[in-house]
Amino acid sequence: MSAGIARGRLAEERKAWRKNHPHGFVAKPETTADGSANLMVWHCAIPGKQGTDWEGGYYPVTLHFSEDYPSKPPKCKFPQGFFHPNVYPSGTVCLSILNEDNGWRPAITVKQILVGIQDLLDQPNPADPAQTDGYHIFIQDKPEYKRRVRMQAKQYPALL
Amino acid sequence: MDSDAEMPMSSDEEMLDDEDYYDYSDMGEADEEEEEEEEEGEEGGDGSEGGEGDGEGDSDEELVGGDYEGREAEGSDEVVSRREQRYIVLTEKDINERQEEDISKVAAVLSIRREEACVLLHHYKWNISKLSDEWFADEEKVRDIVGLLLNGIDFPNSSKLTCGICFEGYSSDAMSSAGCDHFYCHECWEGYISAAISDGPGCLSLRCPDPSCGAMVLQDMVNKLAKEDDKVRYARFVLRAYVEDSKKTKWCPAPDCTCAVEFVSDGNYDVSCNCKFSFCWNCTEEAHRPVNCETVSKWVLKNSAESENMNWILANSKPCPKCKRPIEKNQGCMHMTCTPPCKFEFCWLCLGSWAEHGERTGGFYACNRYESAKKEGVYDETESRRERAKNSLERYMHYYERWASNQTSRQKAQSDLQKAEKEQLAKLTDVFGIPETQLKFIIEAWSQIIECRRVLKWTYAYGYYLDDKVKSEFFEYLQGEAESGLERLHQCAEKDLQAFLPPAVRPENNEPTTPSLADFGEFRVKLAGLTSVTRNYFENLVQALEAGLEDVHSTAQGTTSSNTTTATSKKAGTKGKSKKPLARTSSDNSEEGWPCERCTFINLPSVDACSVCDKHRY
Repeated sequence: MSAGIARGRLAEERKAWRKNHPHGFVAKPETTADGSANLMVWHCAIPGKQGTDWEGGYYPVTLHFSEDYPSKPPKCKFPQGFFHPNVYPSGTVCLSILNEDNGWRPAITVKQILVGIQDLLDQPNPADPAQTDGYHIFIQDKPEYKRRVRMQAKQYPALL
Repeated sequence: MDSDAEMPMSSDEEMLDDEDYYDYSDMGEADEEEEEEEEEGEEGGDGSEGGEGDGEGDSDEELVGGDYEGREAEGSDEVVSRREQRYIVLTEKDINERQEEDISKVAAVLSIRREEACVLLHHYKWNISKLSDEWFADEEKVRDIVGLLLNGIDFPNSSKLTCGICFEGYSSDAMSSAGCDHFYCHECWEGYISAAISDGPGCLSLRCPDPSCGAMVLQDMVNKLAKEDDKVRYARFVLRAYVEDSKKTKWCPAPDCTCAVEFVSDGNYDVSCNCKFSFCWNCTEEAHRPVNCETVSKWVLKNSAESENMNWILANSKPCPKCKRPIEKNQGCMHMTCTPPCKFEFCWLCLGSWAEHGERTGGFYACNRYESAKKEGVYDETESRRERAKNSLERYMHYYERWASNQTSRQKAQSDLQKAEKEQLAKLTDVFGIPETQLKFIIEAWSQIIECRRVLKWTYAYGYYLDDKVKSEFFEYLQGEAESGLERLHQCAEKDLQAFLPPAVRPENNEPTTPSLADFGEFRVKLAGLTSVTRNYFENLVQALEAGLEDVHSTAQGTTSSNTTTATSKKAGTKGKSKKPLARTSSDNSEEGWPCERCTFINLPSVDACSVCDKHRY
């Protein structure tokens, strides 16, 4: 993609998001010290799905876009140490559509990314573990896993 | 080596002259003697005492020159056709042509576009029959898997569209889709394709940028939208895929070689590319008969691995008890001082601090503490491990040294072969007036030496992994024979030839020192004889080793000789069809060399007693 397309596309993403976005989700570019918006980093929040152990939590995710976007996917990070089988200890999300060698397509939107991560929360993929803690508890001790998830939901209450 | 087809005596359509030419043992015929005399007369009677053999050689040159060349050509054809049964070397042009042929065929049979045929074939690994089977069984399913949409997507009605990648608005004629209804601007397409191509051959199955769409991006689309160098790279990947997808073709591993080799039959995997590089088609290491691929990979790993360094350190050093750095004791007393900054002083035997040592513990050369602890068995295990490591290291070094020195000899022989081809033959032609086509026997000798060095080299890897004691003994005997036979040949080609080459400095006077044509004839007979004898021996050796010396059981050495014979003949029987030359070799033995009944050594026809064990021929 020619240089500069990343910002143009992100500006359009931002417009589209303001026009219409799924309920409970937050996504906005970072505000820099001088008060302007940095389109390359977005701070987002993903609500846990209703009826699941994740309900009630609003999980903060940061999307880091590179100049290669949308040729290359953004890096999506939860806070460090986030409890989930498919989240690396650094907080980076391991998800097929976010893998540049595999599932990423340039037509995937920010909205699709965030909804995709929301789906992943309650449907972890044990074939692709990214942390030992979350993976082992998920495999060996389901009640303990549910307890940890519910505990984490309380850790991230709604901001409003 | 297929060169026995080039050996004149092996062809059925041999001319009479050729028979004479090689039939050294049969020289008593009167008419021939006459001929010789004539010859010598013509030569101007250089005073040589011209043994019959030489005269024979001369007359032959005069008589069959033209014939010889003609037969040569036939011979090489035969070689090619026989090789074709096993493998085919494909140049880039060949690959292109075959690929185009396959694509056109499929496009015609399935009545689809060329580009569609190309991605289908790529998906089915260029297996046409599998592709057409599945296509005719369920075309829709195949189209779905590969992402080939049936035509019929309506071009969007609205004149202005939003590109799904940059989100800019464009008029519909500035946008394209992969046959689906996801339209993107040409700039984004170019970037999308470019990113995929720089990620490697995966670009050959590039899909529409929309996450839910599987429409395949075809080559015509790439050619329409991508940058010039991306198109070239894409085409390159298409070509490479043809070789890499197929289970039957592999690239030649030699650097800068662009050929591929298609393997046709089973069995012997050694192939030789157009670039002269010989390699094992199975594991793509250099050619390594008679050793199998697993042994080679073990051996190569062993040679490269740090494991041997570790073994050496383990065998010859002890870690400093304080800083743990390995220390080699090169001699002297047991009082060790580690190098700065550690400077720890300790006793080599018990590894205790030297401060606790002195007269009382045995002085500088012994250590009572060690002796008593050893009695109690404290040091036994580490000591014996060290001893074991040392022994195994020595064993490995033995084989490795010989493996490597044969490798070096082989490289030397390769450069000698080039030298012979480039300079020496021309010089010999100058001196003796023999056409280069008739000096081929020198080239053959060198080629044989190169091949034998290769085989001999690998027998050392074979020997290293040979576990059976009885087999080992027999193997080493065979190897020793091979080695000395090859040495004789190598010596003859290397040293004896020198006598016939014009010396660098001395002025041209033919009188006393320059060898006569007759001498050269003798040399030819000797070298050609040694070449064929060595070839036979090595062929048998390779077969025996490939069969795992299967006929050797728990027998003593005395009986092993007969075992070789059975090993060889059995092999010849099982391979009967594909290995015709072998069957012929045995009959050739009568004219060319004869196998000793006792030790199986193939002797020159001119001798009546075995050169190895002195057993009489009859």
